[in-house]
Amino acid sequence: MKEKYKSSKWQEVINWAQKRSLFMLHYCTGCGAIELPPTMTSRYDMSRFGIGPAATPRQADILLITGYLSTKTLKRVVYTYEQMQDPKFVMGFGSCTINGGMYWDSYNTIKQLDKYLPVDLYIAGCMPRPEAILEGFLDLKQKIEAGEAEGYKKYKEEYEYYKTNQEKVLGEVKRRQ
Amino acid sequence: MKNLNGGITMDKSKMTEMFFGPNHPGVPGNYGINYYYEGDTVVSAEPNAGHLHRGFEKLMEEREWIKNTALVCRICVMEPDINEMVYAMGYEAIGEIEVPKRAQYIRSIILEMARIQAHIFSIGGNCGAIGLYTAMHWGVLARDYILDLFEEITGGRVYHIYIRPGGVRHDIETSTFQKLLDLLDDLEKNRMPEFQKLIFENPTAQKRWKNTAVLNQDDALRLGVTGPALRATGLDHDVRRLMPYGAYDEVDFEIPTGEKADAWTRMKLKRDEIFQSIKIIRQLIRNIPDGPVSVNLGNALKYRIPEGEAYVKVESARGEYGYYMVSDGGLKPYRVHVRGTSTPLGLYGVEALLPGTRIEDVPVWAHSLGICPPEFDR
Amino acid sequence: MRSENELITLINDKLNPLEVNILREQNMSVKLKKDELVSGLNYLKARGYSHLATISCVDWIEENEFELVYHLFSYEDKINISVKTRIDRDKSKFVTIKNLWAVAQYYERDIHDFFGIEFEGNDDMEELILENWNDIPPMRKDFKTRDYVNEKFEWRDYDGQK
Repeated sequence: MKEKYKSSKWQEVINWAQKRSLFMLHYCTGCGAIELPPTMTSRYDMSRFGIGPAATPRQADILLITGYLSTKTLKRVVYTYEQMQDPKFVMGFGSCTINGGMYWDSYNTIKQLDKYLPVDLYIAGCMPRPEAILEGFLDLKQKIEAGEAEGYKKYKEEYEYYKTNQEKVLGEVKRRQ
Repeated sequence: MKNLNGGITMDKSKMTEMFFGPNHPGVPGNYGINYYYEGDTVVSAEPNAGHLHRGFEKLMEEREWIKNTALVCRICVMEPDINEMVYAMGYEAIGEIEVPKRAQYIRSIILEMARIQAHIFSIGGNCGAIGLYTAMHWGVLARDYILDLFEEITGGRVYHIYIRPGGVRHDIETSTFQKLLDLLDDLEKNRMPEFQKLIFENPTAQKRWKNTAVLNQDDALRLGVTGPALRATGLDHDVRRLMPYGAYDEVDFEIPTGEKADAWTRMKLKRDEIFQSIKIIRQLIRNIPDGPVSVNLGNALKYRIPEGEAYVKVESARGEYGYYMVSDGGLKPYRVHVRGTSTPLGLYGVEALLPGTRIEDVPVWAHSLGICPPEFDR
Repeated sequence: MRSENELITLINDKLNPLEVNILREQNMSVKLKKDELVSGLNYLKARGYSHLATISCVDWIEENEFELVYHLFSYEDKINISVKTRIDRDKSKFVTIKNLWAVAQYYERDIHDFFGIEFEGNDDMEELILENWNDIPPMRKDFKTRDYVNEKFEWRDYDGQK
């Protein structure tokens, strides 16, 4: 790892504060998004953990990929991820992000999310219940406190690997200058 | 300041392009509308569809008949039971299989429960589009109790895989029916009056919905629109009366209609249809006969029907939903074509009907006409 | 309100069908020659069959033909009619019906995307649902989806076991 990215004592305080206030980007990319309104509203309330929805990528911390991704959506999600500010986390939701899921032989969906974006946490299920989503968020909080949720640093270091995979599926993707 | 609403000049230097795009909290799903506006009014629009395409029709040709029942419910996410029902109806129509009476009654009860929860979710979504977030929370909560009952009957909250060719998977006990009747009583006596006070007697909400997103009768018939959007113009066309299926020819219900087809009339129609569905479920539970709940069709991995074709349709919460199925006598379907309800409005309606609305009414237009993107993206 | 048999007599007299079938109650199918299809649809539309549900396409690869099916419905007679015709698979071209039903231009654009059929008179044939697709149209029967997936995407490696 490069010298300027190593953690320090100050980083622990930042991690403690950050895990208590996470904004989730409100972008419903696939069919798993139908279990997000019950999680956000009063029955399985997620705002008691400090998590709330955000409308634009500039103000969000978590990108939640709810389910499968078609190639048309993958291009928009990659540009959205690159517009978010550091530190940012990606969570894979459902079994379609792990190995293709129900649509394993479809010509239009991607099979492994890991090759295109750095994933910090997976939640299994088809589709996961609201209680499972809340447990996933609590696991993410523990990971942030321990300093292990560093997908955004990995994206910067292994930039060529991710971009080559994206170009194989999408054709042409914008790169940084 | 000059009011630019009436004076649309179609001058390119005055128009701005806007992406009411896929990444937006106001769209009903992963779907976009690209439009040009001038001042406050939309001048031209076109749809940006295809973000949810999974290739269902090709996937269904690669799997055997029974394996498709697990796949087909994922086409429409808000109301998955209608897909299972239409697939089973198509299979039974080509194969000339007769389903027992008790299974038809149970299928109709499940479909009416799905209609109630889809209407409650849609009312909540409409309120979210204008800013009344309390009603959205209440709507999602009331729907959750119905999903609890679905979990007790079928095992899953959202995707049930309960209706299959030949009948249903297993029987329902009397205690579950009693829980369903208690839930309907609670919905009718406690929750719907609260919705009435918060949403329907709210002067701000009425002002936002009256005279917005108007769809007149000629346009609706010309485009092929069905469901509450057509019944709000005055005609009472409903697939449950035109081509009866399930147990609908043995129950007694009314079809509410409206006079002026704006968003306010469509909201009132959805509320009235919830009350009619409660009445239908009570009659079905009172008169349900005894008997088997499915027909034995042999080894499930070797289902086979003779050559033939069928176009079957049901009435979903948004309108007519149909499948065209072709079989060539083999172990897998030859062709299945899905006709979603919101195909005419989501694709052509955006180009023809959206110009002329104000830009703050575009989410109200999209939610109130019932556009559900996974149906036409498949 | 007409019954199915009255409708069969009407169709046999005025149009020139190759085949008329009653499939089951309230369901019929009519097969017409491809040059007479538009006049047949016009005739039925004037007699109350004004609701076009959708346009489907079936690929009969062994007979080397595509079959286009137009589903019509009448609110007075309450009968579903599927009007069918066959076109050649190698030179797949047909006439548009967007002058009868304006919404048909999007159904035809969808069929062009998935099957590759050209419709004369309909100029707006951009890609609607797919994006940057550079293989044969995917709903044809000679497109093997599992071979395409194995070539373009990779499977996850679970520590050596597949």
